[in-house]
Amino acid sequence: MATIEDFDTEIADIHTRIATLQAHRANLTSILLSQPHLPARLQQRPVLHERKRRSAAKFVEAQSKRNLENVYRACAGVTAYKVKDPDPYAVDNGNVLGVRVEVSIGGTFIETYHVLFNRPNAKQRNILKIHKHTIPPCIPLHPLANKWLPITRKDADATMEQSLVKFGRSLRKELVSWHLRQEALEKLRTEAGLGNKATQPEEDKPDTSIGKVLNAFVSDDEESEDEEEMRTARDGAVKITDIEGDMAVRELTITWSNGNTGALRVTKDGEIDKAVFRSRDGLRESAMERKAEGRIEGLVQRLTT
Amino acid sequence: MAPKSNSKTTVPDYKNIPHSHRLPVTHREVQRTFGKLSRHSLISLAQQWLAKKNRDFCRPYLLSDRDDDDEEEEDEQYTPAQSCEELQEIYKELAARKGGKREIQDRILEGDWRKGISMYQLATAEIQYLLDHPNSLRWTAKRLARIPNAKSAVLDMEVTNDSEHLPRFQAQTFMSNLSRELTPLMKAHYLLTKIKTLPMTILRVYIHDSPYSTEASLATDNSSPDSAKSVFFIWPNGSPFVYSSIANHLGQVISDDGRHLRDIVQQAIPKAFSRPSARYQLASTNFTTKSLDALLTYRGPGKSNAAAGGWSVFQDHSFSQNALDFITSQRGDAHEKKGADQETSAGATKQGPGRPKRTLEDTETSEAKRRREVAEGRFGTSAKPNDGRGLERFEVRIDDSFPQSRTSADGNNDVDTSDLSARPSNHNRRGRPSLLDRSLEEIEELGDSESWVPDVRAVFQGSHVFAGIRQLVEQGVVDGEKMPGWMTGEAGVTIGAVKEGRIRTKKGTVPGV
Repeated sequence: MATIEDFDTEIADIHTRIATLQAHRANLTSILLSQPHLPARLQQRPVLHERKRRSAAKFVEAQSKRNLENVYRACAGVTAYKVKDPDPYAVDNGNVLGVRVEVSIGGTFIETYHVLFNRPNAKQRNILKIHKHTIPPCIPLHPLANKWLPITRKDADATMEQSLVKFGRSLRKELVSWHLRQEALEKLRTEAGLGNKATQPEEDKPDTSIGKVLNAFVSDDEESEDEEEMRTARDGAVKITDIEGDMAVRELTITWSNGNTGALRVTKDGEIDKAVFRSRDGLRESAMERKAEGRIEGLVQRLTT
Repeated sequence: MAPKSNSKTTVPDYKNIPHSHRLPVTHREVQRTFGKLSRHSLISLAQQWLAKKNRDFCRPYLLSDRDDDDEEEEDEQYTPAQSCEELQEIYKELAARKGGKREIQDRILEGDWRKGISMYQLATAEIQYLLDHPNSLRWTAKRLARIPNAKSAVLDMEVTNDSEHLPRFQAQTFMSNLSRELTPLMKAHYLLTKIKTLPMTILRVYIHDSPYSTEASLATDNSSPDSAKSVFFIWPNGSPFVYSSIANHLGQVISDDGRHLRDIVQQAIPKAFSRPSARYQLASTNFTTKSLDALLTYRGPGKSNAAAGGWSVFQDHSFSQNALDFITSQRGDAHEKKGADQETSAGATKQGPGRPKRTLEDTETSEAKRRREVAEGRFGTSAKPNDGRGLERFEVRIDDSFPQSRTSADGNNDVDTSDLSARPSNHNRRGRPSLLDRSLEEIEELGDSESWVPDVRAVFQGSHVFAGIRQLVEQGVVDGEKMPGWMTGEAGVTIGAVKEGRIRTKKGTVPGV
């Protein structure tokens, strides 16, 4: 007997099949529209309806525009575009210049950031001011804007030079290095056998705690459970139980199963320049500290060997 | 063991209230907090407290505790368990089956923790409630801003390989600095927790207005009016913002005392962040809301801070596709609705199960459709009724001079007149000056100009103000094309002054940082 569930799964299957086929068709459409000589052929060949020819030509044009845009975006990393502010009260009639920063890691473009500028000064038309942006606060946008895009005060005599190109370049450097540090931290975690941060919450469902209490200083004679588990393998190698970084991945905290902790400072280009390691009883472990300094990649190997 | 001997000393001291100090179960705060929590939350809290690492702070009443003092209680409802492990099993069983919430609450307060609820337990319970009900408190977002130093002003703005522009948050250092600032003034219990589910760190400060940090003094509730006793601060990870709130229970008034104590803690926070040569202060960001999600959207760690309202299309990927996405047929459709048949069908399927959507579109008049598209253009992907990021109050002062000859003011007038009813409520609270009151410089500035500038204020109130405005635009009540940008929420403030149709901002600032 076919139940309602059976029908439901069947319908769901058909839906997914339709979705795949449509994606396939969209793919084929864009391939067809990207054919090099298509516009010329559309012009030359006779067609039944002139209207259809025109609409076809429009699609070809849209596709070639997209292709061009994507090539620029993929190759240049930082691209500019124009948008219109819909606000009727916007400065400069709503003309907005957008700058787009692409971040690619491991062969894919993972994120796009935008900075939108307007021209607040009616007289000095080349002075740009940041209007809106999608840069996370852990990126020093304000200092960068201050440096490369200073706004000339009305009372000041000399006009300040603005350099949008240098601004874009340094902003892209900040963004890419941030993503690279994040990537490196993820790699460190997998190397230490800690599992992916994103998948972890699903795995440990019996753990009902709301979070990690940071000012709970547990007395020495009682250990947390996971530490006790580790203790069974005490004679074996001491394991890293946690590697944590802050949002900007400028500071790492490492916890070992024997209670040692380490705090490391990371520079923007991924160099560990300062490290402090302490054993359970608060003694500095300078040997470890020396080992830790260097590139962020390979930190786990340096510490475990 | 519980510090019993401590409770007898009554000398004023300079200590924080430790996690393990207990409040009697009949204490008002305890009763209130536990009364609010759901069954599920109570069970998960109990399980947390019984975890080995927390047992120091949340000792349950076990059989071994009984023999010393209270042997006579034979008619007790809950027999004390042998061990924490046994209790853990009991709560696991309780979690597995259905039942009332009262059962758990009574078991905790009258059974397993009959000797008192520790400060740690109370704090975790309140944080749990906060996470269960993220709209339960009113939050004010502040920003930790560096105090400009004349000597190092240039250096502060430098961006080098190891420069930092955000205050560094190190839990231990911060806690010891904070308590050094506060202990001479009051006794407090602190709990600092990094939340797993949301990108933030919560600090709960339980203010104990007394010179003593003993258990006995905690139990005696001498603050005669019923006032809120704890204050919450939240740091979203990787951002310069701080949200603060007084944890008042429903119907509990926030007394001036409570506000004053919060201000003391609030003033201590930038000091605790400061280091030599890097001093911080708290700057207002003109943002107050009840919704934690809205806070994380407008003053959070992500991309959305300075791209609110219609600019939200830039933060999700609806404006620019992936650089390697060459497919035009789906997105192009949205712009050229009148394209070939083949194209529209592709567009309809893009919206998933598209059939009902299409029939709805067909019945829609072209005018309504145009209005919907205008709203789409102005609000982007923001201001959806159920996105959970509702702001419940938005207040502006119009700073334009009086006779507005511009026709475009019509859009405003609708809202302004409808809002007249809201004005009296504004007059009622005369007590505190509004943030919107003009500052001296602003009055001076106005005095210079020829024209008369009346003090006109508009207050928008509701469960989700901007979603409401979006609906008004879709229904044609507000003209979506002539509406000023601040009505879409793109300014990202809940209070502000409008001049020439734009929210005023300070000179030289970058939005959202």
